[in-house]
Amino acid sequence: MINVRTLEPGTRVALTDGSTVEIVSNPKDGIWVFARYLSSPRDTSLVGTEEMVFAQDMVEIQTTP
Amino acid sequence: MAIAGKRRYTGGLVDVAAGQISREIFVSDEIYAEELERVFTRAWLFVGHESQIPKPGDYFVSGMGEESVILCRDREDRVHVFLNSCRHRGMKVCRYDEGNTPVFTCPYHGWSYATDGKLAGVPYFREAYHSKLDRSQFGLVEVAQLEIYKGTVWATWDPSAPSFLEYLGEFRRYLDLALDAWDGREGGTEVLGGVQKWLIPCNWKFPAENFSGDSYHNISHRSVDLVGIGPSGSGRRDMRERLIGRRLQICFPDRGHQTGAYVLPSEEPTPPAYQHSPVVSEYFRRCEEQRRERLGAWGRVTGAPGELFPNTALHPRQPRSIAVWHPRGAHRTEVWRWYLVDADAPPEVKDFLRQYYIRYSGPAGLTEQDDMENWNYAHAASRGTIARRHPYSYEQGLGFEVENYEWEGLRIPGTVMDVTDSKSSEHNLRNFYRRWAQFMDANSWDELATWRRRP
Repeated sequence: MINVRTLEPGTRVALTDGSTVEIVSNPKDGIWVFARYLSSPRDTSLVGTEEMVFAQDMVEIQTTP
Repeated sequence: MAIAGKRRYTGGLVDVAAGQISREIFVSDEIYAEELERVFTRAWLFVGHESQIPKPGDYFVSGMGEESVILCRDREDRVHVFLNSCRHRGMKVCRYDEGNTPVFTCPYHGWSYATDGKLAGVPYFREAYHSKLDRSQFGLVEVAQLEIYKGTVWATWDPSAPSFLEYLGEFRRYLDLALDAWDGREGGTEVLGGVQKWLIPCNWKFPAENFSGDSYHNISHRSVDLVGIGPSGSGRRDMRERLIGRRLQICFPDRGHQTGAYVLPSEEPTPPAYQHSPVVSEYFRRCEEQRRERLGAWGRVTGAPGELFPNTALHPRQPRSIAVWHPRGAHRTEVWRWYLVDADAPPEVKDFLRQYYIRYSGPAGLTEQDDMENWNYAHAASRGTIARRHPYSYEQGLGFEVENYEWEGLRIPGTVMDVTDSKSSEHNLRNFYRRWAQFMDANSWDELATWRRRP
């Protein structure tokens, strides 16, 4: 399980729906991060957009800065 | 915000004309529940000070009545006051006293709010809500009106309440005595240190009444005066202005605010003060000199304890502070005390004042301890079945109030009681309860804004 509080900007994370996001900023509330979509098989229009990403949607850290 | 109901306070439980007030208004749980609605949702309440949230994202968790609220500065530098309660299931979205954050996130289910109050994050918005939830309808609940006055932040839940300046009326001049720089420049104060918070087992109106102008209880501070905690080495504060000036109790019947004040003779300089420290004494001597130049005759007025209706106490001089009496049930009050100082005062002055302030006020302050003991035992001894049958007496000075008071060419705003010779009066206390009863009886601000009906 990922400790969301420790994710630094630039970290790439895989989500439950197969998307990959890059952390933009982390409020360190342990629940949300601000992230930019790098890929999204579910909805390609999300790529490049920034969204708040929920902790339980994050499954794996892919790379760290 | 109209409230239906019958009148039972004015002339009933609160008989100001006879100078008698029922103990029920202090100890009844039913009346307490009613005043939360009728007083605390309609009046303007003190929330905090801008200097507590200087940067975007800064927040300070405060209170309005029993409600926890968040005072914060959003990313666009706008100041907000929000109810500290998630719109989903009510959990507090902020459980810290103060800090800086980009979002307030509810730890229960994870709803998250931006610092402008907008609902920004809803877990499983697409999946569980099928993107159907109208997030714009579920931002944090924001106060109906907010005013920043000389750095202090005030708010009300009532959209029909008059503006804060109208609510103040001419009492504004006395509030300024606490908020302006000591040399008379407008504003210029900041909060010194943190906010002291503590609980007292008494109804909130005991301290509110005391700060309204109860100088009769001076005897209970005699031990502090004997210890000599004052900034010049004797008494509990510098009191020489009492010996040469007029000692006044001033109230505003249509607003419910009241305060004490001293007026110095026109030819006399302000007596020296803070003589335990040459640096501090010289700072205030210079300030007083500039104040007289800047303000003219009004520079002869020195503030004394006061109460801005309903639950904000002013202590404009020694110590210089603002207190809020947060209601926590009929039988408990949570006190929050902010200490103020000229923002540009030298560090040595601020440090001297900090040490004097905490010697005097707060849970460890010797003077405030005397007061707490009185309120605690007075409340406890008023709860019994027999005790409740006997109203308190507020007859002192009844009928001796003076309107359009003037001394040595200076007119003093408000209804004034000159207590220089009589030593004490309870007319400010009666004024507080008169207004409280009006709030409890009135159905709307149309009734409460009595000054608007004057020709």
